[in-house]
Amino acid sequence: MPVEIVLPRVDMDMERGKFSCWFVEEGARVEKGLPLFEIETDKAAMEVDAPASGWLREVSANPGDVLPVGTVIARIYAEGEAAATPVARPDAPALSVMAEARPPAASPEAPAAGARVRATPAARRLARGAGVDLSALCGSGPWGRVQARDVLSSPRAARGLHREWLVRGERAPLVLIHGFGADLNVWRRWLDRLPAGRGALALDLPGHGRSPLGERIEVDGFADEVAATLAAEGVGFAHVVAHSLGAAVAVALAARRPDLVGSLTLLAPVGFGPDVNGAFLAGFLAASSPDALRPWLAELVEDASALGDGLAERTLRLRRERDLDPAQARIAAALLPGGAQVYDARPAMDACKVPIKAIFGREDRIVPAAHVRNAPGHVATHVLAGIGHMPHWEARDLVAVLAADNAAAGDARAMR
Amino acid sequence: MTRELTYAEAIREALALALDGDSNVVLMGEDIGLYGGAFGVTGDLVARFGEDRVIDTPISELGGAGLAVGAALTGTRPIYEFQFSDFSMLAMEQIVNQAAKLRYMLGGAVSVPVVFRMPTGSGLGGAAQHSQSLQAWFAHVPGLKVLEPATPYDAKGLLLAAVADPDPVLLFEHKLLYKAKGPVPEGHYTVPIGEAALRRVGRDLTLVACGIMVPRALEAARVLADEGIEAEVIDPRSLRPLDMPTILASVKKTSRLMCVYEGVKAFGVGAEIAAAVAESEAFDYLDAAIVRLGGADAPVPYSPALERAMAPQSEDIVAAARQLARA
Repeated sequence: MPVEIVLPRVDMDMERGKFSCWFVEEGARVEKGLPLFEIETDKAAMEVDAPASGWLREVSANPGDVLPVGTVIARIYAEGEAAATPVARPDAPALSVMAEARPPAASPEAPAAGARVRATPAARRLARGAGVDLSALCGSGPWGRVQARDVLSSPRAARGLHREWLVRGERAPLVLIHGFGADLNVWRRWLDRLPAGRGALALDLPGHGRSPLGERIEVDGFADEVAATLAAEGVGFAHVVAHSLGAAVAVALAARRPDLVGSLTLLAPVGFGPDVNGAFLAGFLAASSPDALRPWLAELVEDASALGDGLAERTLRLRRERDLDPAQARIAAALLPGGAQVYDARPAMDACKVPIKAIFGREDRIVPAAHVRNAPGHVATHVLAGIGHMPHWEARDLVAVLAADNAAAGDARAMR
Repeated sequence: MTRELTYAEAIREALALALDGDSNVVLMGEDIGLYGGAFGVTGDLVARFGEDRVIDTPISELGGAGLAVGAALTGTRPIYEFQFSDFSMLAMEQIVNQAAKLRYMLGGAVSVPVVFRMPTGSGLGGAAQHSQSLQAWFAHVPGLKVLEPATPYDAKGLLLAAVADPDPVLLFEHKLLYKAKGPVPEGHYTVPIGEAALRRVGRDLTLVACGIMVPRALEAARVLADEGIEAEVIDPRSLRPLDMPTILASVKKTSRLMCVYEGVKAFGVGAEIAAAVAESEAFDYLDAAIVRLGGADAPVPYSPALERAMAPQSEDIVAAARQLARA
């Protein structure tokens, strides 16, 4: 069933509201939680967010319309859902026919030929330079405006995971892989500690940050996606620094692609023992307000001040914007069901010839530090007193030094 | 040697150096002598340099400013302090019609090397007639130079540059900055008039922030960085002449521009910068509409809550920048 968009009551005594504008054009894709339209009351203009993701159809409100509260002004159709009822809207006579003839899942329509294309100056400049036809693009900006990023991503479909070069450098770069529920931004606090001359490529694991969740929800599948991402970035040799669940992915990557990985620095790693804190995973995933999330985030560190301000708010905002909840619930169910660790990293580490360091926080309440006992003999282990599950936040300097040393050792071993 | 000084101390040091370095320099203004200035900036200078060099003028801004402009015409280099820049409205004839125009109208035969010190801005409960930000009024006038230092270092260096300048210069000093501390070298140095300072490097958007908005923009940039938004912060330091090349280079890099200033948003400093960018070669690099974050379209209220709300605060900058970076 399509989701109905109604004119909301935003004031106690509001009977009618003046509709100002849509932020998304009819037929375009809308994302749950992003601004959908604006209304005006006597007191203020207010943005209203989309209640669901899908395609915007059956738009009946026009700018300036004064409508009773509760009026249905549009519907959001999910993927593959066809319009159920004909739409009586004189200026869009073909809509319901189109919706039935072509499933809305196909793609949002590009603007009709001859229609004025809404595009930023930067998008126009880039399109001119690259010979891209703006009218063939679907804009991701406000009102469907074509942004520079739409032009940049048009010729080649973006391959691999979302990633960002936090630092560029000449020497073999560090590839930074975050843990469950985080995103590449966790490494920003660490940037000024990086060894000089090394680049740092951080990436979002599938179902995290800005990377979509693919078909394969398994550690090896994630490792293959990381390998594809490195290929897309032209990285042929790198040192991997990875945290928690990301550490299992890093080990799998080193085992599957020994040519790519020069060293592994694993922080509070998954894959060394049978259990993780299942209550934390459940509570972290279920929390829907900052107040509910904060106590769980506090479990991550020994001293809560290491988290800084606003982490709960940022985590929830990203989850909401990118609709990450279902994806992360599936990842947890597949890789860490009920607090059990499905992936054992030890066989893969046994096959690795590169330097491996495993760094545990002795006070870790998520992954037990006792797992350090299970580390294979060729893995260097460090157990940090007074540190919890986030050594890269709680012991930034030491972890940076250890990672730099390990990368240097990896470079030296590769030279031999 | 460089020490930590407050903004007010840095200005006092610059005034003392100017008085020491040139016997033609005099300070003028209401209560700048024994009282030490409405905000304590001149302090003990009258004791050090005497009443012939640190001159208390009567409670008439038009008279005092006229005295300063006339003295400047005869080769004196006066530095005139308004108690509040709002009171310069009383002296507009002397600043706009006389000081700004005499060199032009007399074919270059004279110049008017006067400096007007302009304590400015809201935040101290001064209400509508003691809290305005009128920089744009003066920046509109050919013949005037308008400076707005944001740090103690720049306050000293720009004031000494203003004293050395042959033409009338207005120095806007935000009252909330007087107690702000920062490194200031000893001795004489100048900050070039018309050169912006790049306060923070970033790739996602450009914040052009003036005066008190510089520390607020930097604070906002730190919050934004934690979210993965890297803001570049440019402090023009000088509004007229305005260092457009620095701003344009940044906009071409980031594709997004927000101007942050305390003066009333409409017809303000940000309007000039936004229009100059739109007219320039950087237009083709914009990937979102330019945003102006300025003061509310209202007289400055006396109520502390409303006074705070009318001027951009760092959380306002964060919210607006977040929206701009995502657009």
